[in-house]
Amino acid sequence: MKTLNQKLSVFLILLSAGYLYLSYNLKEYPYVPVDSDFLPKVLGYVLIVLAVFLFFDKSSETEEEKEKRQVPKKEIFVLLAVGGMIFLYIFLLEIIGFVLSSSLFIFACSWFLGYRKLKTTLLVAILFPLIMYLSFNYLLQIRLPQGLLPF
Amino acid sequence: MGAMEGLMQGIQVAFSWQGILFVLIGVVAGTLIGMMPGLGPISAIAIMIPITYGMDPSTALVMMAGVYYGAVFGGSTSSILLNAPGISGTVATSFDGYPMAQRGEAGKALAIAAISSFVGGTVSVVLLMLFAPALSAVAVSFGPPQYFALMFLGLTAIASLSDGSTIKALITATLGFMVATIGIDGQTGTTRFTFGNPNLLEGIDFLVIALGLFALAEICFLVIKRKDTSLQNQGDIGSLKLSKKDFKEMRGPMGRQSFLGFILGVLPGAGATIASFIGYITEKKISKNPKEFGKGSVKGLSAPETANNAATSGAFVPLLSLGIPGSGTTAVMLGAFLVLGIQPGPLLMADRPEVFWGIIASMYIGNIFLLVLNLPLIPYIAKILKIARPMLISLVAIFSLIGVYAISFSTFDLYLLLIFGVLGYLMRLFSFPAAPFILAFILGGMMEQSLRQSLTSAGGDMMILISDPVSIGLYIVSILSFIVPIIRNRKEKQSDQEEKSDAS
Repeated sequence: MKTLNQKLSVFLILLSAGYLYLSYNLKEYPYVPVDSDFLPKVLGYVLIVLAVFLFFDKSSETEEEKEKRQVPKKEIFVLLAVGGMIFLYIFLLEIIGFVLSSSLFIFACSWFLGYRKLKTTLLVAILFPLIMYLSFNYLLQIRLPQGLLPF
Repeated sequence: MGAMEGLMQGIQVAFSWQGILFVLIGVVAGTLIGMMPGLGPISAIAIMIPITYGMDPSTALVMMAGVYYGAVFGGSTSSILLNAPGISGTVATSFDGYPMAQRGEAGKALAIAAISSFVGGTVSVVLLMLFAPALSAVAVSFGPPQYFALMFLGLTAIASLSDGSTIKALITATLGFMVATIGIDGQTGTTRFTFGNPNLLEGIDFLVIALGLFALAEICFLVIKRKDTSLQNQGDIGSLKLSKKDFKEMRGPMGRQSFLGFILGVLPGAGATIASFIGYITEKKISKNPKEFGKGSVKGLSAPETANNAATSGAFVPLLSLGIPGSGTTAVMLGAFLVLGIQPGPLLMADRPEVFWGIIASMYIGNIFLLVLNLPLIPYIAKILKIARPMLISLVAIFSLIGVYAISFSTFDLYLLLIFGVLGYLMRLFSFPAAPFILAFILGGMMEQSLRQSLTSAGGDMMILISDPVSIGLYIVSILSFIVPIIRNRKEKQSDQEEKSDAS
């Protein structure tokens, strides 16, 4: 059975190998003493060396670290769901606009995570995006996506 | 231009009504964000950056500086009241602050923290005013080789940024450096690691990384801990009054730690966290009754609070006068400068005296604001800790997403932000520190540039890097600053274990 550090180390070595492969395939530019591939190559090898060190790093995890890594399966699902909601938010942002998508997100996310005060949620979900939208557009002159709303 | 004249210009900026207003906004926002569990100065600065778009640079930076030290202060409030330090810089505060609060003297503890922070902050601003111009004057003559050596020194900070494994810190730093190489190479025009994606041509914006690795990753932890209701049931804060005896006890640590904290803040990599721990340990060592420490000692609370605020101003010395960040937080602060088109460094004092001196002068006002605002308002401000977690999570998510969108106007960067959020969460899960990543990412681009400039000017001769005394000296300091923290960490671990066995 491999230790966690060793698994991470193998992953990092594969990563740096990929990075090095790309670095060696960078286009050459003959008129400079140091080309654009110099530093990436150095970094790639440095990462391999560090990963090897990690492989042989005997220091085991502290109890605290282990505890931190224990995430219940149910919580992983919750995290994925929140991630999915953020993904959906990004997808809808430029289509239905900042205000609508943010309202939906705040409402859905707070509700999903177990906040059950309907009035407060609605109030925040409507007012917060509106205030942000108006102050970005008119105070800071940064146009956030307007979307379906007429203003 | 003389320093006096510059200082007058700076005072004009800081004492204009915009100056005062934005310092106030910065300090309040920083305190509020810093108080949230998990959100520290890095998240606070990153979240506030979008607000500065289009603002006058000097006013904007005065505000950002306020956010920075406000967040450090806010962190100590949650340390004292909840034993939940928002940031590592205030962990030492909770050692004596929380026991004091449990005794029903939360008010007193908060007052001690506020006064110590004020003293530490103010003394170190005076020192900053003296040191930053002097360092600028020296650094003006630096060329690319010396700058490369300086940044190398900045990177060795990584050794001390790591809480646990130095190897892991170095790995995240290398990864950060690698991410910095994405995009068009400035010197040759070669596109590197873009996979043909036009959105990556200009590289990845630092805000994507700062908000992803810190704010979004923290959201994941908030999600998991959302049912933790310990934040809701904080009791009465009690009287804020301090007795003469308390003041007498605070005087020693405040005097010593203002200077010690400042010096540690100037050194790359040391910063607020180390300063507060060292402050705590030294005061414990020289105290007549060290057994009081950890049980609600006035000295034990005052020392780290003074030190972490002094270190915060100290960190501005290398940032303003060399343009080189010594920690993750100052790296994000440097990003805030660059967003506004200001390049900190030795030329800043001569080219933009209103920015350079404005920030310094505003710190006096900011520290007074922190004291005046926080002393009477602490009981009310602390109510923010009662915001329901689910609501907090959604709001922080929106803030982070819009912060990135407002800088790039592309949803591609938002997906990237999400990816870095996941990466940041995984890194924390496997105990890889995130601060070296952002530090190396920001230093990386600058380092590569100065390295290649040096080598180009010397026709590819590597010896140029170690051809003058300044660079050699800097490399020696780098190596020392890399090795010393490792040894110290080991010693600290030993003494930690001794303490634990003492306590049990």
